[in-house]
Amino acid sequence: MTEIVINDRTIDAQPGQTVLEAALANGIFVPTFCWHPKLSVAGNCRMCLVEVEGRGLDIACNMPVTKGMRVLTDSPEVKAHRKAMLQFITLNHPVDCGICDKAGECRLQDYHYAYNGEPSLSVEPKVRSTKYYNLSSRILLDNERCILCLRCTRFTHEVSKSMALGIEHRGDTSVIRPVADRPLGEDPYSDNIIDLCPVGALQSRQFLHKTRVWYLKPTPSVCPGCARGCTIQVWHRKAEWRVKALDPAQNNAIARVTPLENPAVNGPWICNKGRDLARLLERQRATEPMLRGAPTSLEGALERARELIGAARHPVALVSSWGSNEELEAFRRHLGAVFTSFVKCDAVAEPGERIEDQLLIRADKNPNTAAAEALFGRAEAQLPEGTDLVLVWGEGFDFARLPRGARVLFLNAYLQPENGHADVFLPITIHTERAGHFTNFQGVVSAFQPCFEPPRGAAHAEALFAALAAPARVHA
Amino acid sequence: MAGRQLLMTFPVTESSHRLAEYRARGGYAAIEKALRSMRPEDVTKQVTDAGLQGRGGASFPTGRKWQVVVPGDGQPHYLIANADEGEPGTFKDRWILENAPHLLIEGMLLTAYALDARHCFIYIRGEFDLPYRRIAGAVDEAYAAGLLGERILGSDFSCDLIVYRGAGAYVAGEASGLISSLEGKKGYPRNRPPRLTVKGLYQRPTVVNNVESLSNVTVIVRDGIDAFRAVGTAKSPGTRLFSVSGHISRPGVYEVELGYPWRKFLDEDCGGVLDGRALKAVVPGGISSKILTGADIEHLTLSHESLWEANSTLGSGGMIVVAEGTCMVRLLEIMLRFYHHESCGQCTPCRHGTGWMHRIVARIAAGEGRPEDIERLYYVAKYNDGTTICGLGDAAGYAATGILDKFRDEFEYCIEHKRSRYQGRLE
Amino acid sequence: MRSLIPEFEALRARFPAGFASSLVLPCLRRIQEERGYVADEDVEELAAFLGVPAIQIEEVLTFYTQFRRRPVGRWHLQLCRNVSCSMRGGERLIEHLERRLGVRPGETTADGRFTLSTVECLGSCGTAPAMMVNERYVESLSAEAVDALLEELR
Ligand SMILES: Cc1cc2nc3c(=O)[nH]c(=O)nc-3n(C[C@H](O)[C@H](O)[C@H](O)COP(=O)(O)O)c2cc1C
Ligand code: SF4
Ligand code: SF4
Ligand code: FES
Repeated sequence: MTEIVINDRTIDAQPGQTVLEAALANGIFVPTFCWHPKLSVAGNCRMCLVEVEGRGLDIACNMPVTKGMRVLTDSPEVKAHRKAMLQFITLNHPVDCGICDKAGECRLQDYHYAYNGEPSLSVEPKVRSTKYYNLSSRILLDNERCILCLRCTRFTHEVSKSMALGIEHRGDTSVIRPVADRPLGEDPYSDNIIDLCPVGALQSRQFLHKTRVWYLKPTPSVCPGCARGCTIQVWHRKAEWRVKALDPAQNNAIARVTPLENPAVNGPWICNKGRDLARLLERQRATEPMLRGAPTSLEGALERARELIGAARHPVALVSSWGSNEELEAFRRHLGAVFTSFVKCDAVAEPGERIEDQLLIRADKNPNTAAAEALFGRAEAQLPEGTDLVLVWGEGFDFARLPRGARVLFLNAYLQPENGHADVFLPITIHTERAGHFTNFQGVVSAFQPCFEPPRGAAHAEALFAALAAPARVHA
Repeated sequence: MAGRQLLMTFPVTESSHRLAEYRARGGYAAIEKALRSMRPEDVTKQVTDAGLQGRGGASFPTGRKWQVVVPGDGQPHYLIANADEGEPGTFKDRWILENAPHLLIEGMLLTAYALDARHCFIYIRGEFDLPYRRIAGAVDEAYAAGLLGERILGSDFSCDLIVYRGAGAYVAGEASGLISSLEGKKGYPRNRPPRLTVKGLYQRPTVVNNVESLSNVTVIVRDGIDAFRAVGTAKSPGTRLFSVSGHISRPGVYEVELGYPWRKFLDEDCGGVLDGRALKAVVPGGISSKILTGADIEHLTLSHESLWEANSTLGSGGMIVVAEGTCMVRLLEIMLRFYHHESCGQCTPCRHGTGWMHRIVARIAAGEGRPEDIERLYYVAKYNDGTTICGLGDAAGYAATGILDKFRDEFEYCIEHKRSRYQGRLE
Repeated sequence: MRSLIPEFEALRARFPAGFASSLVLPCLRRIQEERGYVADEDVEELAAFLGVPAIQIEEVLTFYTQFRRRPVGRWHLQLCRNVSCSMRGGERLIEHLERRLGVRPGETTADGRFTLSTVECLGSCGTAPAMMVNERYVESLSAEAVDALLEELR
């Protein structure tokens, strides 16, 4: 322990810590732009200047704690300097918050109101720069808004290692640029720089000018894109901001996905697949129970399914690796004794998708294989001759593999041709419509919350499993 | 001659830079002596006790810098001679590179021996052509004579020296910017800590010294502490090379014994102000040192302590003489344009502040000044002082406040009358 | 660049182990000497040869004033515009050359003979005004001396 004093408070700092880390760990806030706990120290924004008694001002983010040092984070000198740093930053900044997606969650805006609040002292013309620079098919760069904190370049050098970004030119004409032959587009983690950017310089094309962030609400969730199970925030319109004039789909859609920091799983990052959850999840939904393609009532479908289960002598179940821990447990409890169960791989990598790497991405593209295998084993699915009933839960099963003569009970969320081939088809909800947990490949359990109401007609699989075992009312 | 001399001790001829002539003047005796009879720490102690102060700009005690490096601590150490010489008004290292390259090489050998540095570099600014050819030629000569490379002069000491050319960036003269550049990157200076003597080139302990500082090491080891201290003042031992330019009759590089009267130097050694004009001001050591008026320097001597007392510094020894009738607004505009052009762009205050000051002063010079401009320049300078990674941001502010402190009335005149009191005259 | 590889190999051998990144500047200088500028393919090849990220080379090329991504005229005249040269007539000399060549700093004459540039202090303040003509320093200039030089180079 290294004892230091910050603003008259004695603090036990860890040796090797910086003053900034010690301050933050003890609830003392120091404003920063360039510093990020998971990136190297760049020390260029100069926003974290603090005063050390006897030594004057220096940046807290690069200042090792030394025994007995006395630090002031809010002295008049520090405040004056913070204010000046903001004057410098906004000198050539366009201050076009009115058309900037970052407005409302922008550090520069927040700090301006917290520490400056005054109009610019400058009357000089601003240095102009590129307003819309195509960094990749996913990201737009506004060089005028960029404050050159170099978080984005450091991310591509230190975390994603694509080395895709750098700084060209120098002085007040410095610009962030991608290298020509290694486009940022190939970096599956590229969108993290959008969150990292403390201002509105890096903009998501998906999200560009779509909505104001204050109309949105984040719901904690888990990315189902691979066995890492990164925790995420799913952003969607707040209930009070659902507007009739909007396309109803927009009122009920994923506006964007951002990481939910989680030291045990993904730290502060996610991959681009997680950002594209809307593409994965917002496919056309199945909402009607069917018997061999003919719409029926939920009660009718359940009735028929129970008949089939009761009549089967060799029933096999293919359990979804996208089911939540709760659903898997419900299946085991209600139907585990009836079926010979195998874990199904619901999803595989799409063409061009990164299979696996050292950072986050796992080869298993299903979120809950670990929990499913813990309950149902790791054995390869067997569908021997004589299997007379197959329960298929979720996607990813090739119906051509069905043993001749076997009946099929199919639970699926999406509108797909296979639905009509099943003897009984039951539409189910997806994980953004219910609460639950996934267990990732390391055994870490993460929770997700419902973001949206399920579409009319889709039932929770958990309730269906109970109703398949014995007559019960299911709400759908 | 401006007092006694230690470096410019021989007549410059077509061949005086060659190894044979350097040896004939007693060259490479110091390294021979050191390898024969001194331990590395003895060399460091000599340089420390001689009181050598860096000649690159900051006047930091050379020995104190070296002491941080621990010889034989099991990791490589590097020595770099800073021959970037980019400070406007400075061209004194060029004299050594062109005319006394072996003096530098010998000084580097002594320093490398003291620091246990197997590999040394001379980082020379990219524009220098003749100086590069001269120093590169001298390095070749030294290799051929067994003065560089393996087992120098039959001792256990081996040392390699590479001449590395920059490519046009003032900030690459700042020691850590230089190291970034020598690592083949853009010349971004680095935050301290860590100090470069702890983590420098490729994260190894590295000493960066100015060309003239290292050349003085040769003199100190060759002649001894007492001989060195006998020259100059108690607080500023030795001599300094001054490169004198601007409105002066005989511009050029002069070696001046520290403590020498400033006015006498200008009048007698440099032939006085050009065309007999009156002396208006002098930039003492590169434009990053604060300007002094003719009256200020009347009783000053050329020594570190004398300049510190006058709230300026000897800086890089780049002395610019300004005659009466010169427009200080334009002069400052050019200086600020320089810093604006050379800021690497990392630090918020320097990236924007240098351009801000430049634009303000350019506007004043163009007859569009506003009453609040002067206050604004002080504001920008104040918040660039001590708030940046390297000294460039500070220096830009010093250049501005230095001139404003002394010639504020000229700026006020220009703002009020929308024209320069001296018609923008520079010549 | 490929023809320079043996030279670059020799250069690499002179540097301590692990210094490959340091070769970026010297190699770019040589490439520029040969080609007159640095082309996109040079960046790629050099990055592959040295094993450094291409972005590092791109950064270097734009950070330092001496590197060029495009050819310049046969003679590159770079005049100092800093304090000491301006105090000895540097600004007039720049205007003189603009008039004589009919181009502004940064431009090349239509016949491709001359590119005019202004630069910061060249360290030639004692022999001001000064300029670089390609690699060479030409110092103590006057309008007459510049005219004579232009004749010679034409
Ligand atoms: C912007 C800037 C530019 C500098 N340029 C040079 C230079 O060209 N040559 C030099 O020797 N020192 C230069 N310095 C000083 C170096 O950082 C360093 O202090 C010096 O090389 C150390 O050598 P010394 O202790 O022998 O003086 C510069 C400093 C700054 C802040
Ligand atoms: S684009 Fe954003 S993250 Fe990148 S340097 Fe600029 S401000 Fe920082
Ligand atoms: S002070 Fe200026 S030149 Fe120095 S590191 Fe900061 S931005 Fe770069
Ligand atoms: S947070 Fe410390 S300098 Fe940017």
